[in-house]
Amino acid sequence: MRCNYCEWRCELAGGDFGVCRMYIEDGGAIKERFPHSWSSCIPSRIESIPFYHVWPGSRSLVIGTCGCNFSCRYCSNGFVAKEDPGLVFDGMITLTPAELVRKARQMGCHNIVFNVNEPAMSFPTLVELAEVAGGAGIPMGCLTNAYTTEESTELLASIFSFFNVGLKGLSAGFNREYLGIPSAGPVLRNIRRLAATAHVEITTPVIELANDNELDEIARFIADVDPEIPWHVFRLLPEHEMKEARYPDIDAIDRALRSARKLLPYVYFHNFVGSDWVNTICPGCGATVIERFSLGCGGDRLHSFNCDGTVCPDCRREIRLHGVKVAWNAGEVRP
Amino acid sequence: MSLAIIDAREWQNVFDLRTGAKIVEESPLLGMVREVQARRPYPGDMDSSGNRWVSDTALDLMNRYDPSFVFLTYAQQFFSGRYSIQTEKEWGDAITDLYREVERFINLSGFTPVIVGTGDMTPFVDFIDVTQLKGLVLATHWSARYAGLHEPSSGDLKYLDAHSGIERIVHRDDFLRLFAESSGDRSRVPEYLLVAKEGYMFRTVGGAFRRVRRVPAQSFFIPVATEMGEVSTITGIRGLIDSGIGKRKIALIMVEGIGLRDFPWASQRCDNGREWFYHEPGDGQYLTISTGRHQLFDYPTGYKYFEEDAEKKEFPFSGYFRSVPEDTLAERYDVRSISVGNRSMFMHMATGTDISIECFARNLFNQGTMAVIHRMNKI
Repeated sequence: MRCNYCEWRCELAGGDFGVCRMYIEDGGAIKERFPHSWSSCIPSRIESIPFYHVWPGSRSLVIGTCGCNFSCRYCSNGFVAKEDPGLVFDGMITLTPAELVRKARQMGCHNIVFNVNEPAMSFPTLVELAEVAGGAGIPMGCLTNAYTTEESTELLASIFSFFNVGLKGLSAGFNREYLGIPSAGPVLRNIRRLAATAHVEITTPVIELANDNELDEIARFIADVDPEIPWHVFRLLPEHEMKEARYPDIDAIDRALRSARKLLPYVYFHNFVGSDWVNTICPGCGATVIERFSLGCGGDRLHSFNCDGTVCPDCRREIRLHGVKVAWNAGEVRP
Repeated sequence: MSLAIIDAREWQNVFDLRTGAKIVEESPLLGMVREVQARRPYPGDMDSSGNRWVSDTALDLMNRYDPSFVFLTYAQQFFSGRYSIQTEKEWGDAITDLYREVERFINLSGFTPVIVGTGDMTPFVDFIDVTQLKGLVLATHWSARYAGLHEPSSGDLKYLDAHSGIERIVHRDDFLRLFAESSGDRSRVPEYLLVAKEGYMFRTVGGAFRRVRRVPAQSFFIPVATEMGEVSTITGIRGLIDSGIGKRKIALIMVEGIGLRDFPWASQRCDNGREWFYHEPGDGQYLTISTGRHQLFDYPTGYKYFEEDAEKKEFPFSGYFRSVPEDTLAERYDVRSISVGNRSMFMHMATGTDISIECFARNLFNQGTMAVIHRMNKI
């Protein structure tokens, strides 16, 4: 029996767990091996995840499970995503969807964001969680590599209302060598699908001499889908198999993004402390409408929100925002 | 104004430490510190050369600033012991390497050392799972022994009371009474402090996920190696150093994850707390050594740190610190002082030195280094 959650479509007959090692065939159905088990359940600033255009200033409950269907050589969460889930499991916490939503409320979180690994690893649990969170008026978003089948992309769209999709590279060579997948085709297809009905941001980690030559092409792809999609270009902190790689040159990447900035109004370059490229500039008049502060890996924060609702206070142009600003300690939960 | 210089590898910026605003400033001292950072990229918390980086960076800075007081932290063995599977022999080798590195620094610098072990490590035994409680339990993932409990139900307390990994449950009033003389904002102290037995640690929501192999061991006493005099309490180390400042050049050297059991120097035994409480390695222990007073309540274990993480929080590079602590060790010294460490980003807050250089790493992710210049008027 084949698992149809992601594009690997693994055959799980005979007790196999597939590429991600998170599913098993049981009684003619594909089931999770570790339902309701979480590697992460921690309050965080939404900007640090990163979502720059979603509920600015809000407190998110960041959750994750384990396992992944990519084999990124530079994976920064390899200790969760690349470890054998069977070995990681004893360190995880178990919470039913209702308990998890209760923890979100206890910690004053406005929304829940799936991060750390790939949500396609835990579809049945996330379907349940979405139902409970939806009932409590808590929005849900996720980071995803979008290497899902067309059917399960629909499932993603039904669970989450905002996405940050990792578009790591375009060429087949890069995808094979650095990510361990045959091509980026399904990812591109799914970005178009998700952007049609949900809020989407895109993140591209830059590896010098590997995918930095694709930045213009990626920008053109995004512009073709929707030029207002926010694009996060990450200075990669090489981890996992690439621990010894040199850190990408910040000035060189900044220069490489010049033409992209003419195509896309919301291009951000960060994942390093003190980045100059984390503010939102009004595409209409050039006013700085949202200021942020970058503390590097997982540390970004809102500094000041200058929009009037969702429009520029100076020229009244609409700024792409999914939700309005949320006070940090509001503890409020809005649908 | 205190300056923070972030070196994210081949890219530096200068900020106001308090506001985080970027600053364009040039001065010989600032230029010197920037050059030291550029020459000394941090190899990473788990890298075997992490302790060598401490010595080399300190010596480089000392050659150019000529301080009379140096505050160092060596922590590579703490990180590798915590997260790597090691045999006892490998752990012993790590201590031997640490010993050699500290001795190398002492020999090259000629400073009089005061070496403090922050406490032994012990194999992780098991989790105390508190995620199912009705109340909320919070703990920093660096702590094994303590967690804060908020709004518990009676069932929660019954469960905790019966748990074999729990040593005691302390009501906040009793905790406050134990350190009645300590200053700090007591409103942050949780309703209960949970205390684990040795080897256990709390499994909480809000914790970071990495498999832990060793945790801080029971350390009611810590070792101090010094020829400067007798010291019997953690709060007495400050006075010992104060008494020598101006008479000789002193290096206060903290070695992380090493206690009475593994300390490789002849040492004195120092109280590390009071009654059932002892300091685990971390900013509270450093601040206690640095100020000569137990520091527990400004940032107590298990407080709701996230409530104070709003936009425009001051001291954005300083973790949950909201101000520069007062009366720290080197703050009032007339002589020049520096600190260098690879433990965390609190050296610039805890030591009071004129200049500090520390690793800028979060959850083992290596972001580079941060230098802080608190004062420029001694050059």
